[in-house]
Amino acid sequence: MGRAVATYVWAYSQKEQGVSTLSTARERLERRKTGTTWLAKLREPTLKGIARREALTGYLFVAPTLLGILVFSAGPVIASLGLSFFSWNVFSPAQLVGFANYQRLFGDTRVLISFANTLRLVLALVLLELLCALLLAMALEGTRPAWLRYFFRTAFFFPLLMSGAAAAIAWSYMLHKEFGVVNYYLGLLWIPKIPWLASARWALPAIVIVYIWRQAGFYMVLFMGGLSNMPQEVLDAARVDGATGWRRLWHIVLPLLSPTVFFAAIIGVIGALQLFDEPYIMTRGGPGDATRTAVMTMYEAAFKNLELGYGSAIALLLFVLILVVTLTQFWAGERFVFYQ
Amino acid sequence: MSSQVLSRRGFLRVFGVGIGMTVLAACGGAASQSGASTAAAPGQQPTSVAAATPAGQSAAATTAAPVAETQTPPAASAGKTVLRVQANPDEEKPTEDLFIQQHPDVAFDNLSITGIDHEEVASKILSMVAAGQPIDLGYAATEATQLYAGQGLSLALDDYVKRDADTLKEYFADVHPSLVEAMMYEGSLYQLPFDFNAANMYYNTKVFAEAGFKHPADDWSKDDFYNIAKTLTKKDSSGQATAFGYGWINRLWGSWMPWIFVNGSNLLTEERAPGGAWLWDTFYKDDPAAKGRGGGWRWRKPKANDPANVEALDFMVQLYNEGITPAVELGGGGTLQGFFSSGKLAMTPAGGFWSGGLHNAGMKRGDFDVQLFPKWKNQRHQFGTASLFIFKQSPHKDLAWEYYKVRISKEGMKVHGVFNPVTLTTPTRRSMMTAERFAETGPEHWQVFYDTLDKHPDTAPIPAPPVSNAETTLFTSYTAKAMALEMKPQEALDALQKELEALFARNPKMYPAE
Repeated sequence: MGRAVATYVWAYSQKEQGVSTLSTARERLERRKTGTTWLAKLREPTLKGIARREALTGYLFVAPTLLGILVFSAGPVIASLGLSFFSWNVFSPAQLVGFANYQRLFGDTRVLISFANTLRLVLALVLLELLCALLLAMALEGTRPAWLRYFFRTAFFFPLLMSGAAAAIAWSYMLHKEFGVVNYYLGLLWIPKIPWLASARWALPAIVIVYIWRQAGFYMVLFMGGLSNMPQEVLDAARVDGATGWRRLWHIVLPLLSPTVFFAAIIGVIGALQLFDEPYIMTRGGPGDATRTAVMTMYEAAFKNLELGYGSAIALLLFVLILVVTLTQFWAGERFVFYQ
Repeated sequence: MSSQVLSRRGFLRVFGVGIGMTVLAACGGAASQSGASTAAAPGQQPTSVAAATPAGQSAAATTAAPVAETQTPPAASAGKTVLRVQANPDEEKPTEDLFIQQHPDVAFDNLSITGIDHEEVASKILSMVAAGQPIDLGYAATEATQLYAGQGLSLALDDYVKRDADTLKEYFADVHPSLVEAMMYEGSLYQLPFDFNAANMYYNTKVFAEAGFKHPADDWSKDDFYNIAKTLTKKDSSGQATAFGYGWINRLWGSWMPWIFVNGSNLLTEERAPGGAWLWDTFYKDDPAAKGRGGGWRWRKPKANDPANVEALDFMVQLYNEGITPAVELGGGGTLQGFFSSGKLAMTPAGGFWSGGLHNAGMKRGDFDVQLFPKWKNQRHQFGTASLFIFKQSPHKDLAWEYYKVRISKEGMKVHGVFNPVTLTTPTRRSMMTAERFAETGPEHWQVFYDTLDKHPDTAPIPAPPVSNAETTLFTSYTAKAMALEMKPQEALDALQKELEALFARNPKMYPAE
């Protein structure tokens, strides 16, 4: 380490003086064979040394991020893995229970239901929010005049800037079966009142609606960026060849947009797997367990029931699920994503 | 070394080193900033409640989002002892000022912790303590009294109470023994009750008057209630209800728990822990209401699917099916308050906290009133009570106790913000239950609040053992399933019973003294 630092300092000074350390290094390499002193060797920059200096600079720049990941992500994940083999309520000493937490987890109906709910939500949320976002992006892309496009882009993006908790509370009022404004307007269309948050059948769709309302704007902006970056010559060539409408969309636009769709899908899936705010505030996981998500179950186990070992086991299961889903997405990406 | 200007690459290298050094220095420093930042108190949102909300109260007004919390910095604390108190700063300040007059060397650091309901606040406190951020005085309602005591977090006050018995005689003479017993655990006293709420029946007087109903009799029955609720339910031409006769919120206190109690049952088995004679003999020797009381409650086994409980839940489902009750929500009750104040809801179970809450929601004195809960097999009410507790880890226990005494004193309670300018909860002191207190807000029959304890001494606290957090989750989950008609009441309560049995089996040492 000291040698590397010393080499670095020396080389830096040489460079500042206009001396090419690289050429000197090559020459020195040759002279090394004739047995120069160890001090001279220490001072001599080598090709390896230069690469090392460059690498060191790079490491220094990424060090803060790496440190953050180690301390706030990797470290807790490893600690959580260890904790999952214990029974611990924080205030009493932890007791090693081996795989008992995992045994209990796979027999716990509530946990399994929450994971099933989470997977359903992922499927519904990602498909619908990407579809909505794509339709909005395509609609706005062709909008004239430009100020109208900017207005709608801002309007659709705005919900994302709101506090998730505040939005969930407001929606709770709006979706109230008896006195909510949504059922009021549905009533004007002669649609009977829907028990949005009081029925297992409707609670999950209600969560999906609220979540998409908040998130679609973000993906819309992503897709707008993707659409505007498409090579015009390809689109012109397609038009010349007679590809219009649906064929143009399916065979030209979507393949060109596939990297953006892939990125959006990855982000969307990870976000959906970690859904917590809306179901917690709007339904507390109810009615019953109809909208209980994996993260909610983990939170309740760890922080409400003070079963941190069990909560860690649930967290690990979620981690594995996210990993499997993400790897599956990357596998699919290699087959279906087209990079120019 | 060259005297040339630093190159771009050189600058970037030095900058990178500097950033790395800064990060290392920051990580190495001990930043033991006190407390979660906590937001002050009350707002009017349906899913938030301030930590200092009274026992039983669901939605105290909260202007903050449920998880937003702010902290009041200790003012001028140089050279002073700082007491960290979990309390709403605005409400607590008058009492703290009273204390500071006697102890000018003390400063206060108030943490107002919000949550959707009491168990959420308790979860946050537990997380704070687990993270190494203890406080001197915490706040616990019945939902959390045994939770903290069972975890060994709260300090038993026996020695302090015995030492200052002469000073406290006046307090105990002013407080019903059932409230005191609710704050005991395994023979020791952990809190001195400050406020309470029993689930009485609030009704909208205008809605009653329009239908020709007068103030119900004290011993009105479940059938009387049903007839009134059915009459007051209004439906439009399509058969959809536009105003409801009765509504409730899905939670542990209130909800359909009062119906369990008046049907002669409970969610859990009840027994009294031994001990407590030191308190009863000292302070309640001649009080017949203290006869037979012990060292606190023990709720040792679930009996969720007791036939009386099934019958009570059947009744709730019947009311829903007939359109008398709206869809049942979880959480705080702010929505219910809104419907009640706008005349869309005729009756609901609530305690003294609604008198101030409805006033703040715009209702005038005379717009609402209260009566005892209807009688079924009996008229046994359920209540919750609350107060501060001293953390065992507090480095200022003696000082905390001195503040505690001021807080529960007549003067301390009179100036406290939760009782001024409007009464946001029911004071445990009988002497504070006066016509003057409720003159501005109502209800007219305010005597009902304390009559619940005096006229029905079998009134008991909601069943809240040390595992009340998990118990509440299960209870509300299966209640919701039954009310959403996904499970029949018997089915739901059978499943609840099974899960509660598993929960209790995982926690066999809830009552270590047995």
